[in-house]
Amino acid sequence: MRRPQKTCAICESGVRVVDYKDERTLQRFLTERGKILPSRLSGTCARHQRQLSTAIKRARQLALLPYIKGFGG
Amino acid sequence: MTRLYEAVYIFDSALEEAAIAERLTRFHALIQQPGAEAPQVNQWGKRTLAYPIKKHQTGYYVVAKFETTAEALPEYERAVKLDEGVLRFLVVVSEGEQPVPVTAGKPSEEDDE
Repeated sequence: MRRPQKTCAICESGVRVVDYKDERTLQRFLTERGKILPSRLSGTCARHQRQLSTAIKRARQLALLPYIKGFGG
Repeated sequence: MTRLYEAVYIFDSALEEAAIAERLTRFHALIQQPGAEAPQVNQWGKRTLAYPIKKHQTGYYVVAKFETTAEALPEYERAVKLDEGVLRFLVVVSEGEQPVPVTAGKPSEEDDE
């Protein structure tokens, strides 16, 4: 049995370039602990997954997103 | 050759607005190209950091977009790095929300098919 193909949420919203400053959207592509969700689970297309990963890493540098959630402080 | 850059600064939230404005003009004087427009500055204001930086829990975020040459950047980055009022900063080549012809002219961004 093949699972139905998941569609890329970013393509559907019509965004071409993922913005690292928009941490609300990026938040949706993180696990509870703040790791990047694999595209296998989120259904993101390859191009947007690549853009997401750099955007999330930039947002982490700017303390918009945590590196690890729920750790210590 | 000039390119569009975007810089995000996180200032110490204890700084006065005037002190931040003074620093911004000082930094932006270093990258101002003759004939180019003045940087577009967007102040986000005080925000809570996702994790403490230099023992600060909050920071004052400022986003600036500017056009400059690659040669002007190292000096500017050095000046920003040396400033103690800046907790952290990030300079990236700006790729977002531009009309298509602008991004199409830049080969380094994977924006084309």
